[in-house]
Amino acid sequence: MNYVIAIPLIPALAFAILAPLSGRSRNAAVPIAVGASVITLGLSIAAFLAVWPGGHEEALYHTSITFATIGSVKLAAGILLDPISATMLVVVTLVGAAVQVYSLGYMHRDERIGWYYAVLSLFTAAMLGLVLSDNFLQLYMAWEVMGLCSYLLIGFWHEQEAPRKASIKAFLTTRVGDIGFALALAVMYKTAGSFDFAVVLHDFAWAPGAATAVALLLLFGAMGKSAQVPLHVWLPDAMAGPTPASALIHAATMVAAGVFLVARALPIFEASGVALTVTMFVGITTALVGGLLASVQHDIKKVLAYSTISQLGYMFVALGAGGIVAGFYHLVTHAFFKSLLFLGAGVIIHAAHTQDMREMGGLAKKMPVTTVTFTIGSLALAGIFPFSGFWSKDEILTVLWHGEHYVVFVLALVAAFVTAFYVARLWFRVFSGPEQTSGLKEAHVEMLVPMSVLAAVTSVIGFGSPYFAEFLGHVGEWPAAAIALTSTAVAGLGLALGWWAYGRRNQVLNTRPLKSRAGFVYAALAQKLYFDLTYDYFIVRQYGRLAGALSEFDRTVVDGIVNGAGAIWRAGADVGALIDRVVIDGAVNGVATLVRAVGARVRRIQTGRVQSYQALMLAALVVLMLWFVVKGA
Amino acid sequence: MSLLQPVGVVSFMALAAVLFSLGLYGALSRKSAVMVLMSLELMANAVNINLVALSRFTAPAEMTGQIFAVFSMVVSAAEIGLGLALVLALYRRSQTVELDAMQELKG
Repeated sequence: MNYVIAIPLIPALAFAILAPLSGRSRNAAVPIAVGASVITLGLSIAAFLAVWPGGHEEALYHTSITFATIGSVKLAAGILLDPISATMLVVVTLVGAAVQVYSLGYMHRDERIGWYYAVLSLFTAAMLGLVLSDNFLQLYMAWEVMGLCSYLLIGFWHEQEAPRKASIKAFLTTRVGDIGFALALAVMYKTAGSFDFAVVLHDFAWAPGAATAVALLLLFGAMGKSAQVPLHVWLPDAMAGPTPASALIHAATMVAAGVFLVARALPIFEASGVALTVTMFVGITTALVGGLLASVQHDIKKVLAYSTISQLGYMFVALGAGGIVAGFYHLVTHAFFKSLLFLGAGVIIHAAHTQDMREMGGLAKKMPVTTVTFTIGSLALAGIFPFSGFWSKDEILTVLWHGEHYVVFVLALVAAFVTAFYVARLWFRVFSGPEQTSGLKEAHVEMLVPMSVLAAVTSVIGFGSPYFAEFLGHVGEWPAAAIALTSTAVAGLGLALGWWAYGRRNQVLNTRPLKSRAGFVYAALAQKLYFDLTYDYFIVRQYGRLAGALSEFDRTVVDGIVNGAGAIWRAGADVGALIDRVVIDGAVNGVATLVRAVGARVRRIQTGRVQSYQALMLAALVVLMLWFVVKGA
Repeated sequence: MSLLQPVGVVSFMALAAVLFSLGLYGALSRKSAVMVLMSLELMANAVNINLVALSRFTAPAEMTGQIFAVFSMVVSAAEIGLGLALVLALYRRSQTVELDAMQELKG
């Protein structure tokens, strides 16, 4: 099983090869990245198949090295292959490979495609390092690398203002959550004395207080990464990045890292109890808010982004109810069908030359493959049998029912209803009605193949749900008929309402059915329930004012002190210069002038005539003799 | 002092003084470097006369003045040879032996 170590290292190697190259040579090296992703997919499937027959929660492969020692603290990096990480391996590498192949068609005209692939590879390496890590510290490091990659890919087209701003917003917002994660690590090490899963999750007996602190801080970190209310505001803006990158990072994998973290740390949450309730509350709020906001977006990618937020909320609800299987299973199914929807959205945007659904329509006639695959993804998202979303959503509802969380159960049904509604709205807007774009044609084969693969997975994976539960070490069973029928009825109602509002013949051209019927609701939703405005007013603007005040303080007080000191020094230096000029230079120049004047006078006797020297000598001799004579007398 | 008096030391010293004065005058006044050298020789020989005379009249037995005079003449001969060589070199350089024409060392 040693090859498991190679799984995160191969994409990392691809990044190491691509990153130092420049321009055209990097673009030519793109096949290396694609090849690396395909090899990684093969290895991951092999690892998954090796784990599958075992089907229990113990680690099947575990290795660890110490990479740093601080005092007596040893920091380790390790590989832990168990059912959860093996499943995540397949999800990440399958979606990753699909996105990389798809991007060959989607990005082939971009002149920085090499850099795009380099970052995709680094992201894949980090995500694989995250799911395979055997301790929270390594998980945190991979987590931050993914944050960086997310930032780089959102701002990939940094020549434009919107992606640039969105990348900064995403980075800073997730950073807020990351602080929670970092604090959780500190508290965890202080209480449990280790970062290792084996110690923290199994051996250590958590006191409820400490467990609550750690769990809530971890949850805060997960909320940032997984775009949960109120830290969800970055994800819709993150759609400014390339669509395949959105599919991989902002729909399927990275945003699921928060869910993965909570699923991993669930024993701590269970030790706390309170944290579970909070998780469920955050999740259901997010599921409803995301679903409602998705219903009023006109940008097809933003609909999918809010849908992602909503579905992530669903996963949190399941985890909050203690249903690790349901939550994790929904993560897996969602990763496939949401990346499928995003890839389909990419094709649609390419074909229609717009992201605004009001300017689309009638795509079904001209783009059959896209239509079929996108429809499969849509039905899975809406929770219609037999597609994967139906199974995982039912498991979540089952968990809520059995856990006697009846209020949340009803709210989850409402969320499912809203989901079906906006799915119908999206579908009818894009695929039915009159064509609004001329020259529609089907996409390239390298874009259609990954979508078909994901659609096939989405169609069949649901039938594996009971086996999946057993694989994770729980009791597997088919969904109860009552719950299945209820959820299907709710989803059907949602779809029907969507059709009634957007799909009927006389409604197709009505761009604002909701606004015309419930104006104040629409206004609130159109303003994204005022989250962005609130943040802008209470955080961004106040922060700006604080920064302005500090800047003013800096300019007046600090600069004043510095400049004052400078002025004093300068004055002193001026005095010194004056002394130098007048006294010292005066002495030196005075001596020189004196010597010069004396020399000018004395030089006159230096006539150059031998005979005048002789005469002088004679005169001197006479004087001397006279002096001696006089003295002698 | 009468001409009839026997020749004594004073006569020699007077002769030497006359010779020296002639030499000094010549050295100060002649334009030609050769003439200046000759005047210098005059002065040197005046000194020699003084040496010989004073030795003869004060301590004739030791002959120190005579011997010193011989040394002095040898040195003078060497000196005049060097001096004439310098004059020759100067002449070759500037086509003249006039001292007035040589003022390169003027300050």
